[in-house]
Amino acid sequence: MALNGNSSAPPKFDVDGLDLYYGQTQALKKVTMKVAPNSITALIGPSGCGKSTFLRVLDRMNDLIDNVRIEGKVLYEGTDIFGEVDVIDLRKKIGMVFQKPNPFPMSVFDNVAYGPRVHGMRARSAAERRALAELVDRSLVNAALFEEVKDRLHKSALGLSGGQQQRLCIARVLAVEPDVLLMDEPTSALDPISTSKIETLLDELKSRYTIVIVTHNMQQAGRVSDNTGFFLHGELVEYASTKEIFFNPKDERTENYISGRFG
Amino acid sequence: MQTRIHFIEELSRLNHDILAMGTRVEEALRRAVEALKTQNVELAKEVKASDEVINALQLKIEDQAAVLIATQQPVARDLRELVTVFKVADNLERAGDHAVHLAKAAIKLSGEPPFRQIDRLARMAELECGMVRGAVEAYLNQDAQAARRVAAVDDEVDAEHKQVVREVLELMKERPEQVERASRLLNSSGYLERLGDHMTNICEAVVFLVEGSHVELNE
Repeated sequence: MALNGNSSAPPKFDVDGLDLYYGQTQALKKVTMKVAPNSITALIGPSGCGKSTFLRVLDRMNDLIDNVRIEGKVLYEGTDIFGEVDVIDLRKKIGMVFQKPNPFPMSVFDNVAYGPRVHGMRARSAAERRALAELVDRSLVNAALFEEVKDRLHKSALGLSGGQQQRLCIARVLAVEPDVLLMDEPTSALDPISTSKIETLLDELKSRYTIVIVTHNMQQAGRVSDNTGFFLHGELVEYASTKEIFFNPKDERTENYISGRFG
Repeated sequence: MQTRIHFIEELSRLNHDILAMGTRVEEALRRAVEALKTQNVELAKEVKASDEVINALQLKIEDQAAVLIATQQPVARDLRELVTVFKVADNLERAGDHAVHLAKAAIKLSGEPPFRQIDRLARMAELECGMVRGAVEAYLNQDAQAARRVAAVDDEVDAEHKQVVREVLELMKERPEQVERASRLLNSSGYLERLGDHMTNICEAVVFLVEGSHVELNE
């Protein structure tokens, strides 16, 4: 199984034999997967296959759901995320972007400044205010949104287009200076042009972040990712370089799914 | 699934055209060699004219395949099949060109007593008609083993070609006045040899389609 990315560097995530149960239902079965740093990993599979559940394990979002039981090992930079870990700190390092853009009903600036403020960044003195403003600008630039909103930073974020709102959500995540970006179908609500902007952005962000993206759009997985994992009924059926998955998959179930032979 | 049905229908239409193209190439080759053997200039002219149909089929097949890639975004084996379609059509078209070259040589060589090496060329052409048919069938059946068997025939073609080269070089030394005509014969053998290489290319593409890895079948 050939994977793209720096295989000599220690993996960003090292997941081994992960089982996850919602009550009696097993949603993930013995998932084993290493995620290389500064790579984009796409997770694909039919609805209910466990890919989003898996994504949420990585920043412990499943903690918020009752009756979830998790077995197996999930290491983030060598540390067991279910061990002695500050969850708030973990989620600061591992940001999540959701399917639907969900800007807060406040200004563009305040949306991006929200995370830093929550994490204790103050803006009392002129110097502090400048530092915050610079962080907001930088985050907007890195989310490829700054040019479009620089003249309306203090107007409501709800007035932005869907694609702009989604990039705002990315800027909001970037503002807390994370290390990993988790994205759950980040472009499924967007038109092709906005989608293309986000895909280009992902490519730029890769040099600084490790990205894991759940997508229903097979072409998107093909376009943006280095490695692709195919989930089915809670199992990671095949995990390999994206090139291999889309051109010469080894497992017949992968072939059938990506070629549209299911259903 | 509706889209899948459409894709399969379009692909089978495309494969029907590939079969038609293969049949035409085989026929052109058979007739070109027949023209060479029997010094039938009319037949050779027909072969030349029929190449247009082969060329048109290639363009039609490639256009259809390009449209399928654009509209259906095939992946994995479906994509490998369409990539293979381009290779099959391209190599069949080149094979058709070699049949035309042979037909032209038949026209130039007519009117004088035939060389006895033409029997060897006929033997090569016979082997290659089988290769054309076999390569196209291996593609249509997605049969890598059949493709390997077809490619193996190319060794026999190459052996015949080498023998023709030896004999014709001898002949040139013995009868220098025949050099011009003999060189046409030499070229003709070369066309046939290359035609076999094109069929081997198709066989390699079939193995690639089925097994997903590149192989060299012509050592």
